[in-house]
Amino acid sequence: MSAILRVQDLQTFYVLEVLGTRKVVKAVNGVSLDIHENEVYGIAGESGCGKTTLLRAMFGNIEPPLRHFGGKVLYRMDGEYLDALSLPLHKSREMRFTYIAYVPQGSMSIFNPVSKLRATFMDFLESHVPGTMRKSLLALAEKHLESLGLSARVLDAYPHQLSGGMRQRVSIALATLLRPRVILADEPTTALDVVAQRAVLQLLAAVQKELQNTIVLVTHDMGIHATIATRLGIMYAGKIVEEGYTPDVFASPLHPYTQFLIHSLPRIGDKRVRESAPGNPPSLLHLPPGCPFHPRCPYVLARCREEVPPLLEVTPGHRVACFLREVNHGTA
Amino acid sequence: MRFVRDYLIPRLIQYVLVIFFGITAVFLIPRLTGQDPVLEVIAQIQTQGASLDPVAVKSLMESLRELYGLKGTLGEQYLTMWKRIFSLDFGPSLFQFPAPVSMLLRIYLPWTIGLFATSTILAWILGNILGGVAGYFSQKRWSKVLDAVIMLIRPIPHYIFGVILLILFAYLWAIFPAGGLMLGRKAVFNLRFVMTVLRYSFLPALTLVILGGAAWFQQMKLLVQNIKREDFVQYASAGGVKERILISRYVMRNAMLPQVTQLALVLGQVFSGVLMVEMVFSYPGMGLLLYRGVTRGDYNLVMGITVLSIFTITTAVLVLDLLYPLLDPRIRHR
Repeated sequence: MSAILRVQDLQTFYVLEVLGTRKVVKAVNGVSLDIHENEVYGIAGESGCGKTTLLRAMFGNIEPPLRHFGGKVLYRMDGEYLDALSLPLHKSREMRFTYIAYVPQGSMSIFNPVSKLRATFMDFLESHVPGTMRKSLLALAEKHLESLGLSARVLDAYPHQLSGGMRQRVSIALATLLRPRVILADEPTTALDVVAQRAVLQLLAAVQKELQNTIVLVTHDMGIHATIATRLGIMYAGKIVEEGYTPDVFASPLHPYTQFLIHSLPRIGDKRVRESAPGNPPSLLHLPPGCPFHPRCPYVLARCREEVPPLLEVTPGHRVACFLREVNHGTA
Repeated sequence: MRFVRDYLIPRLIQYVLVIFFGITAVFLIPRLTGQDPVLEVIAQIQTQGASLDPVAVKSLMESLRELYGLKGTLGEQYLTMWKRIFSLDFGPSLFQFPAPVSMLLRIYLPWTIGLFATSTILAWILGNILGGVAGYFSQKRWSKVLDAVIMLIRPIPHYIFGVILLILFAYLWAIFPAGGLMLGRKAVFNLRFVMTVLRYSFLPALTLVILGGAAWFQQMKLLVQNIKREDFVQYASAGGVKERILISRYVMRNAMLPQVTQLALVLGQVFSGVLMVEMVFSYPGMGLLLYRGVTRGDYNLVMGITVLSIFTITTAVLVLDLLYPLLDPRIRHR
């Protein structure tokens, strides 16, 4: 299967000048991903591991203080790969929301406060499609909203008149308005109660099923990944440390960090105290040498302190960046 | 209707109360100073060398008290004042005796409205458009140059800027008159009169438009630079919304809201006029009239202008409050 979105050894760092000293925050530090057509790709990891930054770079939105230091983001269009980070401005403007769309973290203030939502939808349509198609696309957005029990009348409301959950669903309807091939969703369920979370996830799943497109879903909530993601990438300190089909990752997590993430989930009937990873996530300003997880790892080996483990395939489709796989599987 | 009961009626009551207390304050404050304007007038006449016999002085004082509304107890004077206000008769002016104040207002007001309102609105439009565009493209070179020029102009006082214009365009290159439009001339509408007015008003209007526009420019530029960083602008930009739409419907539209409020408040000040500019160009407006009223102790004239001023500013704010929900849907009358 060929990838629709390909990330190759991407490095994007925040460069901050504080009182004359240059600080480099390695938010995305050598990430390679192949994201396929018609799948939900989940990216998990704790706060500050670079998930949102990776998504921004995949959207081609690298603006200071974030800077591009190496690697590529490729979009496949009509069988050809386009370098998303070096597209001319008008081309990338055209592709936004038609090829690749973005559902931001928290939709509190993403709509123009003085316009009705219908006007905002029309602004996006007016910028991308000729007049004749606008009506049918708007009708599609209304259908999406209605299929989830949101009346199409919400489009006649102002943003401040909607609840957080409604607003988030409207933002998904807006992101899918132009039938994009790829939707990047950044923590779309954060700050919503569980009922609203369910509605948002259902909407995302329904949209994906209808458009047969790709969703890259970023959240720290492993429960959501288990429900909706086809494949799962675990991110730690700016790197992907494990990747595989969701059932495989949950059934046999290979990286100690993934094991902590999964074992910290509650299970029905199991009343044991949940273990979490000891210590705190590393500062992306001063990464430890070797494997960035080694200070917190209970199985740390001598070479973990010096060498960075590469992301290698262990079983088909299941990759991990950990030297333990060699101990466990005897492949070294 | 709930709107009328819960918002409009309380708001109107508030409006009436503000005017009532404002005018009452204007009534009380001069009386608390302890000066007697009637005695001052008598003293003035006597220092001019006229000898008056005591009987004549007494009858003069009586009639002056009557004219100034200073007859009787404080309560009676207060009632007299309200009677005068409701009949729009503020008594005779002193420095242009016996012309009634209401007539002076009728003569001077159109001049000020013509100059002040026109140049304020023009400055507002120009300053906001230029400031908005310069704020949106604040990284561009031309925007930085424009900003620097405005920063130099803005702090120049009106009277200095006016004098510079006078030297340039009325003396060195004398294409405009140096002022002197006959004070108190009545406005009539024919082509020749309009042309004369335009010629005489051009330099004062230019002063007001440039200095006022510079202030609006700086405010608008700052507003736009902030709004450009708001989530909804960033998001629409990330969504590939065209820049033309982004500037007009997203950035400008939101930045206009505080500017509209400001404009209404500034326009409400029409009655105090633009004293400095009117003095520099000897332009026959309300500012000059008020200035003369104050320096010559023209009690009735100052009272008339102040009362009308209170009335216009409160009315401007009331109209603004009632119209605001049309501009900003987040505001609701409660």
